[in-house]
Amino acid sequence: MTTPDTTTTTTGAGPEGTGGRSRRAWLREHSELGVGVLLLALGVLVLTDALTMDVEIAQRGPIGPKTVPVAVGVGLLVVAVLLAVDVLRGGRGEAEGGEDIDLSEPADWRTVLLLAGVFLATAVLIEPVGFPIAGALLFWGSAYALGSRHLDRDPLIAAGLSVVTYEVFNNLLGVPLPGGPLMGVL
Amino acid sequence: MWATSHIPRPPGASLPGAPSTYRQVVAHVRLRTPLALLGAALLVLVAPPLLTTGSGADTGTQIPGLRFMVPNTPGGGYDITARTAAKNAEDAGLTHNIEVYNLPGAGGTVGLTRLVGEHGNGKLAMSMGLGVVGAARSNHSPKSLGDTTPIARLTEEQDVVVVAENSPYKTIDQLIGAWRENPGKLPVGGGSSPGGPDHLAPMLMARAAGIAPKKVNYVPFDGGGELLASILGSKVAFGVSGVGEYLDQIKSGELRLLAVTGPKRVKGLDGPTLKESGYDVDFTNWRGIVAPPGISDAERKKLITLVEKLHASPEWKKSLKTNGWDDAFLTGEKFGDFLDAQDKRVVSVLKELGL
Amino acid sequence: MDAFNSLMDGFGTALTPVNLLWAAVGVLLGTAIGVLPGIGPAMAVALLLPVTYGLEPTGAFIMFAGIYYGAMFGGSTTSILLNTPGESAAVVAAMEGHPMAKAGRGAQALAAAAIGHFAGGMIGTLLLVALAPTVADLAVDIGAPDYFAIMVLAFIAVTSVLGSSRIRGLASLLIGLTIGLVGLDQMTGQQRLTFGSLQLADGIDVVIVAVGLFAIGEALWVAAHLRRGDAEAIPVGRPWLGGADVRRTWKSWLRGPFIGFPFGAIPAGGAEIPTFLSYVTEKRLSRHKDEWGKGAIEGVAGPESAASASAAGTLVSMLTLGLPTTAVAAVMLAAFQQYGIQPGPLLFEREPDLVWGLIASLFVGMVLLLALNLPLAPVWAKLLRIPRPYLYAGILFFAAVGAYAVGGEPVDLVILLVIGLIGFGMRRYGLPILPAVIGVILGPNAEQQLRRALQISDGSVGGLVDTPFSLTVYGLIVLIVAWPLVKKALARVRRRGVDVEA
Repeated sequence: MTTPDTTTTTTGAGPEGTGGRSRRAWLREHSELGVGVLLLALGVLVLTDALTMDVEIAQRGPIGPKTVPVAVGVGLLVVAVLLAVDVLRGGRGEAEGGEDIDLSEPADWRTVLLLAGVFLATAVLIEPVGFPIAGALLFWGSAYALGSRHLDRDPLIAAGLSVVTYEVFNNLLGVPLPGGPLMGVL
Repeated sequence: MWATSHIPRPPGASLPGAPSTYRQVVAHVRLRTPLALLGAALLVLVAPPLLTTGSGADTGTQIPGLRFMVPNTPGGGYDITARTAAKNAEDAGLTHNIEVYNLPGAGGTVGLTRLVGEHGNGKLAMSMGLGVVGAARSNHSPKSLGDTTPIARLTEEQDVVVVAENSPYKTIDQLIGAWRENPGKLPVGGGSSPGGPDHLAPMLMARAAGIAPKKVNYVPFDGGGELLASILGSKVAFGVSGVGEYLDQIKSGELRLLAVTGPKRVKGLDGPTLKESGYDVDFTNWRGIVAPPGISDAERKKLITLVEKLHASPEWKKSLKTNGWDDAFLTGEKFGDFLDAQDKRVVSVLKELGL
Repeated sequence: MDAFNSLMDGFGTALTPVNLLWAAVGVLLGTAIGVLPGIGPAMAVALLLPVTYGLEPTGAFIMFAGIYYGAMFGGSTTSILLNTPGESAAVVAAMEGHPMAKAGRGAQALAAAAIGHFAGGMIGTLLLVALAPTVADLAVDIGAPDYFAIMVLAFIAVTSVLGSSRIRGLASLLIGLTIGLVGLDQMTGQQRLTFGSLQLADGIDVVIVAVGLFAIGEALWVAAHLRRGDAEAIPVGRPWLGGADVRRTWKSWLRGPFIGFPFGAIPAGGAEIPTFLSYVTEKRLSRHKDEWGKGAIEGVAGPESAASASAAGTLVSMLTLGLPTTAVAAVMLAAFQQYGIQPGPLLFEREPDLVWGLIASLFVGMVLLLALNLPLAPVWAKLLRIPRPYLYAGILFFAAVGAYAVGGEPVDLVILLVIGLIGFGMRRYGLPILPAVIGVILGPNAEQQLRRALQISDGSVGGLVDTPFSLTVYGLIVLIVAWPLVKKALARVRRRGVDVEA
């Protein structure tokens, strides 16, 4: 949903170049049009949801459950078009800078995908293998993806952090977290 | 216990990427890496169960590892019921360490769905009430209370019909007379979303007074507190909510009690029942406990015995008094039949409303 | 001066060694638990409820008040350091506080927050003593049309946080409003954008949205562009607030309570809206506009002060009316009932010792909290010196713990990741994050109040403007919107006047 770099879009004026390479360059240059397309899609989604709602319940007053979604949906469509026009006229959103950020290098998609994958794996694993294991994998996996290669230290830090967190939440505070396969066996 | 204590603080200046440190690490890697991995694996596998020994012999009323789910947020009605019951059961020595936790969502439907999904789990119970019956229906939940194992009904509470002290309506007849004439102009406030107890009560009232429930201008508020401000400020014509929350305001005269919705008058309050005022309404909110489906007979009996012992304990009797709850103890099959009847009633009211 | 004498008696109660001990235990536990991710004051108070069961009522409530305020102090700590707010009142603290922390001014941000909480709590509690009955009456008079007018005012205020590109700011706001639509419609129970999923029926919590957009979004964005090689630790800088900082923030500390306190007393969603309004006010009034978004200290001081004062306002309605305006108040109300005490109109007459002891202990607790948190600020700030991979891995870890601990549903983690990816995309294409968070906060509130107002007036649009309060607010809005135009016109007239004279 957030890889607009690869989104091929047909919004706005057609590509100026004739060759494949210049077309790609044009698309790369105007990749922000992808944001417009996503906003458009979101607007259509919100409007569809609102208009297919069956309001059988006695609705009181002039404003029912549909009104605000319709307004938001229309707003999304309008903003999508305005944004596309702005981009085609040469407007660009400025990527966010920061202390740890080096915008001169191209984006490191591998790290982002790794991190997202590790996070997703945590969501999948947390119930079957329990929080201590899933949490440790999340921390270690993230640190690994971000370039930490202390194979002798990182797993221990991750395991320690995860187990302590588990103890604090589950045992001291009584906020239940799944304990893992050996719960009730040992 | 502080969050800091478990944020790792690697020793010295061994930051990742520092070349000299890295080389040293590589030299030791052959031996230390497998050791570290082994240690980490042992830690995450073995430490949690060892540190969480919720022991206690599996005898008598003891149910080790019993968990009590609350399908709404901390501070809500089911939450207070569950935490009080768990505390009293522990104090009375019936069982150790009942773990109470919240799983809120969609008026209790999320909790209900989870409970039904825990098929055969004899160490889980859920605090619930009429609101969950209504929410499951109005949210078109695929799971209903018929899918659970009924354990017991614990308490009940009447709803009250109240107006602000400066309201023009002095009696229930005046109010309902005006309401009949123009239901739209007399908004009624309640502390629950459509399908909840405070919504059902005025709908039953309207039906008994000959007003089409669809005409009723019901304004939902986020709990009894928000509603109270609107009644006191005469933003709504009248309010319908549980008696417990408004006892003091009624006693101090800030709210005028016009009627109670249940079968008999509330002790200490000067207000007629709807029935004796000529409106055929018998509505009482209640709370109880259910367990997951598919649990064994022994497990079911054990839970019921625990609740029976709890009900008989002086601790629970005291809690009933301090919280102003009416005892409405009913267990097992009988509670199941009651649940069925309540479900049918909710469905009939919601159908009329087209929910 | 009746209130004054009663308060002095209250201090007599609160300053006994035993009660002082409970207050200290309360603030310690509250701070410790408030710091944990995903646990806000409501949860902290609910979790610690059993701890107080063994005490007699006065001691229990003194401890409670300590936990409440302690959790509020602690809540902003994770917000500032890790960008992971634990509850909605601390969301605003992350906006300026976290950039400060990244720039090595974490200690200052934490100190500004701690003093802000102190100032807000002190002034708020003083207002509580002086104004309790009056405020309580006013709170009841304010209804749906008035709330809606305030929401319109808040939406006007959003324009000042849209950022350099209006169109991208609006896109962000609309994304927020869309997220806010998800869930059951509060008035009719209609499902909207839930796609039949019950997990989505209660909507997406603003804390999940904030943690997703702020923490996950940032961690992913940094991962894509991590400055390799020079793994320099974040500088720690001076541990204390400098004179220049104090000169910039003292007005913000004092302004916050007057925004926060009234909002706490009315049932309008707790501290979210006042902290946001305080943020916008401070931004308008700041002389350092270029620093906003990069770590303006006023943006921490004002909102935190407003948050604490709103907690005091909450106590007004709870003690005098028995009216819980926030989740914390609802839990405390339940606690009162455990002791067979019913807060409400009769409480001050029935239990004067308890009430005034509780109020006096608020002052005591505030002093204890400041003494505890101010020296801790530089200690906390040192946390950020850990290497980058661990820092961001830790942020992801705690964001996950927070999201999972609240609901216990793995699907919450997936939602968090999706929102984080949206936050990543927004950073890539320069959509500001803040309007989206504001949209999630304001959208559902505004819609509900609008529809409730129209329902109460039975559909007549006149019902939106039939109170003096709402008319006043709309008048104010007209002034705010028209002021730049008027100023321009005045300037033109004046110039012409000068021309004529010349």
